[in-house]
Amino acid sequence: MKFLDKVNRNSFILLTIILIVSSIAGYFVLRHVILSETKESLIEKEILLRKQIAETGEILNLYPSIEVEKLSRLTSKGPEFREIMLPDDNENELEPYLEYSIEQKIADTYYSIKLRQSVFENEDLVIILAFSLFVILSVSFGISFFINRSTNKTIWADFERNLQTIEHFNFSDKKKIELLSSDIEEFDRLNRVIEYLTEKLKADYRSLKEFTENASHEIQTPLAIALLNLDEILQHNLDKEDFKKKITIINALKRLSMLNQSLILLAKIENRQFKADKLISFKDALHRKIEEFAAFLESKKLHVELKFEQDFMLKMNGELADLLLNNLLSNAINHNLIGGNIQVTVRLNELKICNTGETNSMTDATIFNRFAKGKSKSYGLGLAMVKNICDTHDLEIHYAKDKLHCFTINKKIN
Amino acid sequence: MKILIVEDEIDLLITLSNYLVKENYICELADNFQKADEKLSIYDYDIILLDIMLPDGNGLDLLKTIKKYQIKAGVIILSAKNSLDDKINGLDLGADDYLTKPFQLSEMNARIKAVLRRRHFDGSNMLTFQEISIDTVGKSVTVHGKELILTAKEYDLLLFFLINKNRVLTKEVIAEHLWADNIDMADNFDFIYTHLNNIRKKIKHAGGNDYIKTIYGMGYKFSER
Repeated sequence: MKFLDKVNRNSFILLTIILIVSSIAGYFVLRHVILSETKESLIEKEILLRKQIAETGEILNLYPSIEVEKLSRLTSKGPEFREIMLPDDNENELEPYLEYSIEQKIADTYYSIKLRQSVFENEDLVIILAFSLFVILSVSFGISFFINRSTNKTIWADFERNLQTIEHFNFSDKKKIELLSSDIEEFDRLNRVIEYLTEKLKADYRSLKEFTENASHEIQTPLAIALLNLDEILQHNLDKEDFKKKITIINALKRLSMLNQSLILLAKIENRQFKADKLISFKDALHRKIEEFAAFLESKKLHVELKFEQDFMLKMNGELADLLLNNLLSNAINHNLIGGNIQVTVRLNELKICNTGETNSMTDATIFNRFAKGKSKSYGLGLAMVKNICDTHDLEIHYAKDKLHCFTINKKIN
Repeated sequence: MKILIVEDEIDLLITLSNYLVKENYICELADNFQKADEKLSIYDYDIILLDIMLPDGNGLDLLKTIKKYQIKAGVIILSAKNSLDDKINGLDLGADDYLTKPFQLSEMNARIKAVLRRRHFDGSNMLTFQEISIDTVGKSVTVHGKELILTAKEYDLLLFFLINKNRVLTKEVIAEHLWADNIDMADNFDFIYTHLNNIRKKIKHAGGNDYIKTIYGMGYKFSER
């Protein structure tokens, strides 16, 4: 949820609660005030009525407002207010009244006085008042809500743009990250922190990159010296045992050097140091690769089945595309059986390479791990590289085994 | 043929020059940028082997000096960096080839010969060993004057043997020469055996001798004896 939506939602909920509570409270307060006013006016009326009876001795009856009766003696009832319902003359409906009943002794005569006033009109008034309160509040809340939202939007617009800049930040970019400054102190503070951190990260990244490259250089050079000299020794007449030992040393050193190169290459792919500069047609690339691998295919008597439905085109680095297909095909050949099969299928946004082979304990989750190697003599980095290339190019790769071992590459659908 | 080797590692410099002298090249050595720059402005070379990481400068800058003074010279970059940027940079600036350390002497020799062939067309396009001749311009092979029909890989392999005659070549070295080293084929080198057998058969069929010796099943040597 976006920050503004969250703030707006919270204030909206709060305002709604305030609105409802204050309208209900307003209703009860108003009702209470009006009722007590009515009570007072009833009491005043009773005093007036009593005076009238004392002076004239007349009994005034005006149903339903005034009801006076003579009593033989006083009952123990004190003065009380009641809300009662009485039928309306015209409409035959019950209407609410406030009744004030009291017993009084006026000039040696006992009277029961009942005074009533309709509260119906008052009730209407309360509802109208509460409603207008609700309307006034909601309109003013609404206006402030929209004013807030529009000012918020302009305030956050720069922040939003800066966020996009940060999202698209790339370590290997030589440019400094440029953030829009605003007149809000907190945002400017954040910008300064981000600019500082990105510069620091870039510097660290550069030195790490230089270190790995230099380390690779430092390792490859002594390896080169050792290998060149071993190659020279190999040229002298040697007995079989010595020859074998030298070849073993040479191959071990070569392995070390290859391992070193592969790890550096993996790091470079992960760091996205390769520019996607070429539109690759997997159909064409695979045709070329199969020709290149002809000798390997032949030596294992492998049969290759090619199925091209629709071409899979992708913008990526040419060398990486080459590496991707090399590693996938090498894998399909190295782990194949003598006289086995390889099926290559290219569809729109899909590339599938299946091969026959011995069963293994690898799964989709483990086969792409570094140094995960089955029985092969390989380094266990080929498929890790394939996975890395896929990850950095919005591709998904999956391994499945049924009768065949299959690797499927799909374009990720966002 | 005169070669200038620019390399800051003394051990490597000496190993390379020892080998190249044995191969009948005249070698001059420079172990830093300054010396290399001086030599390049005074003498003429046919081939320059150039390390690009030098203590007192970037070898890629030397390429500019080479462009200025050494129009005829072929340049092969020797680098421990397999970083693609360097490779592309170097080739853009006019280098002829690029060797990533560690490399084999036989491979370097093949690359030098290839650059020489491309640079000088005067007679260096014929390679002969006994009854076998290779015309590197027409890419044709003759045995006793009769033309031999070889596949592209078989031709490459025979040429590699002739360039590196009397030298033990391991299966790995041959595989690396014929295929890019990023093809991970550590598991099986049988395909080399297949190619070799085909070449042997074809030469024998044309009345030639089998000069390819197998060394303890792990390497090969192309020689008379």
